[in-house]
Amino acid sequence: MAEGKGTPVALRDRYLIYPERPLPELNAPNAQAFMAEDRREGGRSLFALISRPDLPTRTSVMRTLKGIQTAGLMQLNEWGVVYWPGAGRNLMALVYDRPAGGRVMAGMDAEFKRVDEYEIVRKAATPLINAMKETAQRNIVLRSIRPTNMFWMEPRDRIVLGDSALAPAAFEQPAVFETIETAMASPGGRGLGTFSDDLYALGVSLVMLMLGRNPVAGIDDYSLLQMKVAQTSYAVLVRDERLPLGMIEVLRGLLCDDPEERWTLETLDLWMSGRRLSPLQTKLDRRGARAYKFQNQDYYTCRELGMALVRHWDAGVVQVVEGRLELWLRRALEDKPRADTIAAVVRVAGDKRGAGDLALARSAMVLDPNAPIRYKTLSILPGGFGTALAISVAEQKEPKLWAECIIREVPKQWFENRTEYNPEWSQLDGTFKRLRNFLGQTAMGFGVERCLYDLNDTMPCQSPMVVKEYVLDLKELLPALDNAAKTADPKSWPIDRHIAAFIASRADFDIDKPLSSLSDADPSINSLAMLNLLALIQWRAGADARPGLGAWVAGLLGPAVAGFHSKERRQRMEKEIPKVGRTGNLVELFNLLDNAGERERDAYEFMNAQSEFNTIKQELTAIETGRVGRDDSARRLGQQIAAFVSAMVAMITLTALVVMELF
Amino acid sequence: MAKPKARGKAAPPPAPAKKGGGTMVLMLMGALAVPFSIPSIIVLFFSMLPTAVAALVERPPGRFAWLAVGGLNFAAVAPSLFGMWFGNHTVAAALTVLTDVTNLLMFYGAAAIGWTLYASMPSLTGVFLALGAQRRAGVLRDQQRKMLDLWGEDVAHLEE
Repeated sequence: MAEGKGTPVALRDRYLIYPERPLPELNAPNAQAFMAEDRREGGRSLFALISRPDLPTRTSVMRTLKGIQTAGLMQLNEWGVVYWPGAGRNLMALVYDRPAGGRVMAGMDAEFKRVDEYEIVRKAATPLINAMKETAQRNIVLRSIRPTNMFWMEPRDRIVLGDSALAPAAFEQPAVFETIETAMASPGGRGLGTFSDDLYALGVSLVMLMLGRNPVAGIDDYSLLQMKVAQTSYAVLVRDERLPLGMIEVLRGLLCDDPEERWTLETLDLWMSGRRLSPLQTKLDRRGARAYKFQNQDYYTCRELGMALVRHWDAGVVQVVEGRLELWLRRALEDKPRADTIAAVVRVAGDKRGAGDLALARSAMVLDPNAPIRYKTLSILPGGFGTALAISVAEQKEPKLWAECIIREVPKQWFENRTEYNPEWSQLDGTFKRLRNFLGQTAMGFGVERCLYDLNDTMPCQSPMVVKEYVLDLKELLPALDNAAKTADPKSWPIDRHIAAFIASRADFDIDKPLSSLSDADPSINSLAMLNLLALIQWRAGADARPGLGAWVAGLLGPAVAGFHSKERRQRMEKEIPKVGRTGNLVELFNLLDNAGERERDAYEFMNAQSEFNTIKQELTAIETGRVGRDDSARRLGQQIAAFVSAMVAMITLTALVVMELF
Repeated sequence: MAKPKARGKAAPPPAPAKKGGGTMVLMLMGALAVPFSIPSIIVLFFSMLPTAVAALVERPPGRFAWLAVGGLNFAAVAPSLFGMWFGNHTVAAALTVLTDVTNLLMFYGAAAIGWTLYASMPSLTGVFLALGAQRRAGVLRDQQRKMLDLWGEDVAHLEE
């Protein structure tokens, strides 16, 4: 341990991270930077980024980036979960090579020394394009390309891209780096995005690098978006700035607002190799013959109007329902198909409760088919629903609107509004059907929690019992619960709604039966289902003993034991369960309680006993009510005895007479 | 043209084979024996009248009254019959038996005792059965207690 650096935290026994040596200049928006050291190679200059506890990270990106060595990316050496003393909990840590030249751009409003036209290709474009090509080959979309996330690896020598893995894709991107469609979505609802989105961000970054500042600094996100829609991104960002002629072509290509026309990595390759391509012509939306007046503003295009209507939602609903929008489309824009669709949307909506909201959501899709799904204050691209929910949970907000949007099948309408087929959308449509089904169920293992884990593969389990352990995988759950057993209330369950949903989402084995039994009203069934789930995980994840958890669970199995009718059996179980529980073997504990033969025998014997008890009861009632001796059987018996005695007297008399006469 | 369907009742089943051939033979033999046993029949007819009444008035099920009355009735008649069979088996002797008040008292008295026995025995049996039931109730309650100990209260609630 280096002197004066405090107690380090070890990552995979190789990298030491010093919590008392923060490096604020290397912080990411949602991660803090600290000094780090390699035990094997002491001379390396490293730093570590420590994640925020509540955001899902991109572990697949970490896995890929760890193996990549390219000039345009900050080298990721290692990643993993570490215990972070400052937070008193486990957190995700990433160890990077420390860039010696510092951050390229300190903040979105900051100015910095511009990269001149002779150096921009060599020092910035080439390394960044190479990094994108490397990651694209591995099917990784970076979604973090911006000068505030770029560093000089050596002073003014080569620019590298910083972290792309500690926050959801594009979550940290300022709206200026996002295309019109993704900028319309909330930062958490942008989805994974495409390579084309990365190329657009590269274009914006190159503009800023060449200018040494943000050309649209001080303009709020909505106004910027309006400007981009009205004038195109290129016009807004480049304006009258004096940029090298050689770069105009590439910037026009990268900043093209039509994703179909935007340059690809292949086009960039051609440009890098010296081929000059014909510049793209600016395309603007069709304008109406007269303006649509709304909220004291004039709107001429569908896209602008769509944005305005959803921004002022309640007023927008009135515009749609009263038919003003249809009229404008029909008369001013002369777009009959759109006008007809809007008319049909309003007609179908009728006077039902909340119909106006659905009508506006659908109308916004008709006005701008490529825009995100917009519903009240939500604005989410279909692929961004998972992150949006994760952010909502992280910010401890009720995802009520989110759930309402899915339950009312707004995404389904978005897919129905597509004019071309895309297999990804079919898959997503299926996902939304599944989510709607989950939201319709209130049982443990379903609901919003299930949606959260199903949509976010890397979301750590948010149960208060294990949240500090940063549980990402099912096999990490039992050790976390074993730790939690030390402080948990012994009467509380080790499975809550979050854990049940986490298990249901992460399990690659059949858990349908115990999961459905978990919410059974009968405590003997639900307690056994709880044990069953935990035992299944232990069996699948390996047979590590969990004595703390075992003892905790054993203490909760009273109702399951009570499920046995025989007192003798119950007593035997009550003796055995704590013993087995303390061994930490949940599988054995479950087998002890779920012995099918023993349960069947118990049920059969109990049924016989019930029947016997009932017979005795009836006999006793007969005795107690005095029916015995007074009923038909007693009378009949008396008559039989009388007849028998009489017949015997006659027989004896006859015999005696015969004997007397003969002898 | 289709044949018209048969109307009315179906053809009667074949007559069952005649039973009771043995009974007929016995009745025939009894009828042949009547001229030789008229005195006994006279005595039996009049002396066994209470038995006949008991047999006629009693309704099924059971029909033990004729046996209870008849057994003692016959036991009282049997000495007189034996006296006739092994002495003077004539109609005059039969009438002598029947006109003797002591004999009649004995015949009908025995029948009365038979009836009394038949009438009183059910009550007597009931008393004995009730006494046995009290002992049985104790045993049954003990058995229930053991079952409750072993299975708990639920054993008492039989689900239909």
